[in-house]
Amino acid sequence: MIPQALLRNFLYLLRGAEYTLLLSSGSIVLSTAIGAAVGLLHAFGPAPLRILVELYVFLVRGIPLLILLFAMYYMLPYVGIDLNPTAGGIVVIGLYYGAFMSQVFRAAILSLPKSQWDAARGLGMRLPLALQIVIFPQAFRVAAPPFVNTCMQLVKSTSLVSIVGLWELTMAGREAVERTLAPFQIFAGVALIYFCICFSLASYGRHLEKRMQYVH
Amino acid sequence: MPLDLNFILRNLPLFGKGLVVTVELSLLAILFAMVWGLVVAFGRMARARWLRTLAGAYIELVRDTPVLVQMYFIYFGFSMAGFGMSGFVSGLLALSLQNGGYIAEIYRAGIESISVKQVEGGKALGMSRWDVLSIVVLPQALVRVIPPLANQFIVIIKDTSLASAIAVADLTQIGKLLTERTAAAYEVFLTIAVLYLMMTGIVSGLSRLAERQFAIYH
Amino acid sequence: MSIEALREAAAPLIEIRGLTKRFGTNEVLRRVSLTVPKGQTVAVIGPSGSGKTTMLRCINLLEEFEDGEIIFDGQPIGYRLASDGRRRRLPERDIAASRSNIGIVFQSFNLFPHMTVLRNITAAPVRVKGIDRATAERTARDLLARIGLADKADEYPIRLSGGQQQRVAIARALAMQPKLMLFDEVTSALDPELVGEVLAVIKQLAEDGMTMVLVTHEMQFARDVADTIVFMAEGQIVEQGPPKTVFANPQSERLRLFLRRYHEAYLL
Repeated sequence: MIPQALLRNFLYLLRGAEYTLLLSSGSIVLSTAIGAAVGLLHAFGPAPLRILVELYVFLVRGIPLLILLFAMYYMLPYVGIDLNPTAGGIVVIGLYYGAFMSQVFRAAILSLPKSQWDAARGLGMRLPLALQIVIFPQAFRVAAPPFVNTCMQLVKSTSLVSIVGLWELTMAGREAVERTLAPFQIFAGVALIYFCICFSLASYGRHLEKRMQYVH
Repeated sequence: MPLDLNFILRNLPLFGKGLVVTVELSLLAILFAMVWGLVVAFGRMARARWLRTLAGAYIELVRDTPVLVQMYFIYFGFSMAGFGMSGFVSGLLALSLQNGGYIAEIYRAGIESISVKQVEGGKALGMSRWDVLSIVVLPQALVRVIPPLANQFIVIIKDTSLASAIAVADLTQIGKLLTERTAAAYEVFLTIAVLYLMMTGIVSGLSRLAERQFAIYH
Repeated sequence: MSIEALREAAAPLIEIRGLTKRFGTNEVLRRVSLTVPKGQTVAVIGPSGSGKTTMLRCINLLEEFEDGEIIFDGQPIGYRLASDGRRRRLPERDIAASRSNIGIVFQSFNLFPHMTVLRNITAAPVRVKGIDRATAERTARDLLARIGLADKADEYPIRLSGGQQQRVAIARALAMQPKLMLFDEVTSALDPELVGEVLAVIKQLAEDGMTMVLVTHEMQFARDVADTIVFMAEGQIVEQGPPKTVFANPQSERLRLFLRRYHEAYLL
């Protein structure tokens, strides 16, 4: 049985995948930047800021991403802000995953043994220098696997923007199904494309995890 | 910003209906995922290599595809094939299948984290493989498994919101309808957010209680 | 020698006065006072929990202390007593500056695993003291040659034995040209056959005139190398004096007990 409907629409789906990658890249960059800043704040900042960060993480952990996407697309027009839909998607997903990234980075920094801090301070290094040449290079290696895994979750989450009307792989899939009335084929194809992207990321993450075991 | 509390109060029954559906879907998905996850975990840790590979491939498949796509696959696929599964059942199936995979890995990690020495100790005392599992390994694995399981339950609760895209009248769907009908987007969003936070908060709280209870036995 | 030079030479490098540290309600250090003259080696011995490591770590403020003063080379460390009698914490800049003139070597070496041996040694001189990289590397290779590890400059710490790592740690501390060296039980984590090479390096340092404070369990070594033995127990200095006196003729019951247990353990 040749999946004719899928083959005919595969290129269309791939174009949708391009948008998925575009959305994902933008969101990854944003969430990494937010995550790094917030993670540092959470680890070293003054108490009131740390509480704010914990509130941020609490909210993101407890509220579905879809609700936030709805909030953005339905509420913002009322407040007068008219945002380009793609940019809006990147901002919401970036802000959402920023919280998860912050936890990844904070955990990585805190996982380093206190003795490394002792050694750095004992040599007369101050916090910024110690972070730059001793802590971050080591934390980076520790953070790499969960970072890649979070990126993978982010890519999967981009499928949600199809519900608020943004065009990407999942939306392309729905349109193709309406055209061809072959949902099994088309969505299997959509799943396959997501699988290729996410499996690569997941494998890379596992590879990074294995490499870590050799260093320490 | 002025909050129209009356609006929220007036529509409480409607929110309540959506909340009930969300809770139902969440609880059933959690239950099925835990059971299915057990099955998959057994496959993953089986002696037969082909079983392990099959289970591994299954887990990889459900983990590397978005749950929304899985929901669409089941919902649109079966309705067009004539089976006509409701949105609720499709959503439940997709959530159970996907989270079953994640939970299987949680079970496996929990069991494998129990030091091999303990298993050897049990065997040395003459216990059968089954005895070792149930008396030595499982009770300890249980404690370690609570936090990641609670986490996964929270993920399930949040993912039920996706069922709103396949015509399930859950909390998110109610919110969407209300926002479209009235202009009170702000109140609707706030109420829904708070309700979700309550649900996930309860799970977190229960998880911490359970952890503490188990910690006493150590 | 001029009066000033005499005074300089006689001034202690470290003066600890009334050092007190608490962990909650537990007083770990009780009004400890100690003077370390320049060029001298002080070995601190005592049972575990006596506060010796804590005292050592207070000297370069890796541990905070609640009361008392530490004067290093004429400058207070960490806190100064203001005119109104209250303690004021010194700015981080000053604390870091003091630390860069004090070298510390830890029980678990604490080398930076992501840097080569050479970079471990040159990182701080270059980034903290502003020494140019070429000079720093020359000094580093010099030091490595002196401790017998010249061929390991481009290795990563994970490839070195414990004894080698500890010697690199000493070189790393020395590269900062400190006025004072602190050693925190630096051989306790080593396999017995590797202890000797590390002690040899420390002995050479003592002979070269470095001012040192050693916390150690190695009684023989302490007797060989130290000018003064300080015996601590329960957060206080119970007895101190030259090795010959302290070991041969302990005055306090506590020290007698400690030495007897030590002899029992090692003479069996």
